[in-house]
Amino acid sequence: MAASSAPRPAGTIAPVPFRARLYGFGSIYGKTLRDSRLSIIIAAGLLGGMAMLMGAALPQVFPTPQARLEVDKLIAALPANMVNLFGKPVGLGTLGGYMTWKYGAIFVMGTTLWSIMALAGTLAAEARRGSLDIVATTPMGKARIALEKLLAHITAITIVAVVLAVASSAGSQIFGDADLGDTIPLLGGFGFALWIWAIALFFSSFAFLLSPVLGKGGAAGVTSLLMVTLWLANGLQGMDALAAISPFRWTQDHIPLVGQYDWAPVLLTIGIGIVFRLAGILLFVRRDLGVTAGLEMPKLPSIALGVRGPTARAFADMAPRAIAWGLGLALMGAMVSSLNATMVEQLKSDPKLLSTFQAIFPDFDLGSSGGWLQLYVQLLSIAFGFAATTFVSKWTSDETDDRLETVLATPLPRWRWVVSGGIAALVSALVTTAFFALGLVGGASGMDATQPVLGTSVLFLYSAAVVGVGFAIGGLFGTSKAPEIAALLVVATYLLDLVGAPLALPEWLRGLALTTHLGEPMVGTWDAGGMLLCAAIAVGGVALGAFGMRRRDVAR
Amino acid sequence: MTPVIELAQLTKSYGKSRGIIEVNLTVEPGEIFGFLGPNGAGKTTTIRTMLDLIRPTSGTARVFGIESSRDPVAIHKRVGYIPGEFALYDRLTGRQTLEYFANLRGGVDKAWQQALIDRFELDAKKRFKEYSKGNKQKVGVIAALQHRPELLVLDEPTSGLDPLVQQTFFETIKEAVRDGATVFLSSHILSEVEKTCGRVAIIREGRITKMDTVGGLRDLAHHQVELRFSGPVPSAEFAAIEGVSDIVSEDHTLKMRVAGPITPVVRAAAQYELIDFVSREPSLEETFLAQYGREAAGAASDGR
Repeated sequence: MAASSAPRPAGTIAPVPFRARLYGFGSIYGKTLRDSRLSIIIAAGLLGGMAMLMGAALPQVFPTPQARLEVDKLIAALPANMVNLFGKPVGLGTLGGYMTWKYGAIFVMGTTLWSIMALAGTLAAEARRGSLDIVATTPMGKARIALEKLLAHITAITIVAVVLAVASSAGSQIFGDADLGDTIPLLGGFGFALWIWAIALFFSSFAFLLSPVLGKGGAAGVTSLLMVTLWLANGLQGMDALAAISPFRWTQDHIPLVGQYDWAPVLLTIGIGIVFRLAGILLFVRRDLGVTAGLEMPKLPSIALGVRGPTARAFADMAPRAIAWGLGLALMGAMVSSLNATMVEQLKSDPKLLSTFQAIFPDFDLGSSGGWLQLYVQLLSIAFGFAATTFVSKWTSDETDDRLETVLATPLPRWRWVVSGGIAALVSALVTTAFFALGLVGGASGMDATQPVLGTSVLFLYSAAVVGVGFAIGGLFGTSKAPEIAALLVVATYLLDLVGAPLALPEWLRGLALTTHLGEPMVGTWDAGGMLLCAAIAVGGVALGAFGMRRRDVAR
Repeated sequence: MTPVIELAQLTKSYGKSRGIIEVNLTVEPGEIFGFLGPNGAGKTTTIRTMLDLIRPTSGTARVFGIESSRDPVAIHKRVGYIPGEFALYDRLTGRQTLEYFANLRGGVDKAWQQALIDRFELDAKKRFKEYSKGNKQKVGVIAALQHRPELLVLDEPTSGLDPLVQQTFFETIKEAVRDGATVFLSSHILSEVEKTCGRVAIIREGRITKMDTVGGLRDLAHHQVELRFSGPVPSAEFAAIEGVSDIVSEDHTLKMRVAGPITPVVRAAAQYELIDFVSREPSLEETFLAQYGREAAGAASDGR
């Protein structure tokens, strides 16, 4: 057979075209940034949007100097444990102080968690799926690969921080009352964003350092736990030894949104973060590629791993997530219920202060224990929503990780796979709720726990509804985007709930948030219609998913 | 007797991109049917449509006489399937994985399951994520065989298996066929198809281009003939024979390709003092490459 003769290569190497660089195919740095573009947009949009919303909401809630003075007095009413947990309360009567105290922790923890996930997985996940071997055999050293990945992450969090800085400052100037001290200069905005940037850098670098040894899950888990522990150590009394190594404690006097700057600890946090990163690069260079020790769980018996059938199997896969969410929420529940009685007592003794709190949270009766718990139900609904999306995500992994084809080649009908996953996700949501309820009971010494325990049922119903939406989308349209769409629903619901009252949004718009239909079960007001609606969305969503799955192709 | 697999005008299109186009084939009970084609030709799409993992755009796929999109579960009960690419449950050990798939089928003969584990020398105590690529493939193979299916649908089944395990695998497949099973083997490793299959279909760009027995496909190919003479011989005389092409003359040796009967060449050679005569029967690989031409050569070598 005659051999073909291909044209001889010219022998010259063309430079990487500008277009390829622009699209992120010119370097590891560009590709990493390209892969993160959606999460950068979401993070920047969320943080920037929240900063703008805060700017718009505060002047409407506290329009007069008298109202602002009352806000300032809040600090006196707070139990010591709560003071530092939410940031040092300085200038609460101004937009900057209010925003730092009420939302600073959410801003910094959310951004840091995102960063931890990103850096724990940037090399470890790529090693696991095998693509790192291919990248590492291109003509560039391991150190350069790691460095480019890290620079891409720094670029990503810098973009998000810049958006936050500009939005904080712009929001205050557009909506704030300059006479009441609301104006946040650009430097203040940048100082705030830099603080968040530094904390995110610190913890994400630690996750990166651990990832070559522990793998993605282990590194992310250990670092997230460390972050929460150090945050609690800064806020709670009796944890001073731990607080000494907490960047939250080091930077507690840096409150740039009220014009109080303390740059040195922020720089120290950044410096330590960089050291972690360099150590991480060194570890990555020295270790075998993709060989991690991992956090080995003991081998479990078959029954615990759910090999008896599809429902048990799906639940066994979701159970670690359900338990992890449950433990975190149980801790939170224990903390809030233990502080509850003190808060109510102090507020009852000062009617003015109570009215100030009521202005901040107009939908809740904060003079009662149940009212406070109801507030926490609303604040924690986002966690239950996200927990539900992680259950949806685990279910979808059967298809996105290429297992489903093998599973559905057995006599398991498609609809049964969806229904089994749905049941498992609902049971997982129930497990998470049960842990939270136990936390509430455990923390509430002397409090009648019946009402709180019953009240948590609405959180279960809310997460069940999110499960229903995720399953409906996964079954009808494909599983690849189902968790993300469910998560977007959770975020939109939370934002509507958060700013609906302060911004005096129309009733119909506020009504779109599912959480507004859950009643106030912690004070004994039940919304049977809303609860039924959630249950219907849950069951109907899974049923729709099962129906849709019968009709569509299985993805590869 | 009802064919085990019957594809009629089976078409699957993915929007603008091609899937498979009007695929027709039948596989009879007890056959080992080879399905050949380069990467992206439509082998996996055909299989996935056949098993109702994806739905046909038009045409029908019947397995055991059942239309696949009507009652896939009835088909799956009787099928063992090894996908071309698959992942299973990282946290489960090999044995737990097999147990799970056995349970999904309502249980299997444990002794046979253990025999397969022993035969393939699988360390069933390890977690799936700890296995090498070849050992993961072994788990897939055993999961597909452990319920003694009537039809084995194998998509690149030996991927990652070492030669000894491959040998064990094909012995097991042949045993299954002796016991009454039918096998649909998709591959681009021609030697394994040649050794194992009775009939072969070749798919290219979504269409079946040839379907015949392995021997029949071989006959389609040119023979490579080499004639060594004691002295110079005029090559033009051979070039004039019908079916002869690509004559190369080196010293007193003539090399040529001969399509069709070889007798006229033998007769012409007999007029001269012939020292040696070599006529090599083409392998299926050569047939395959001849069928696809030069562009397929690279794709075929990928599977080696």
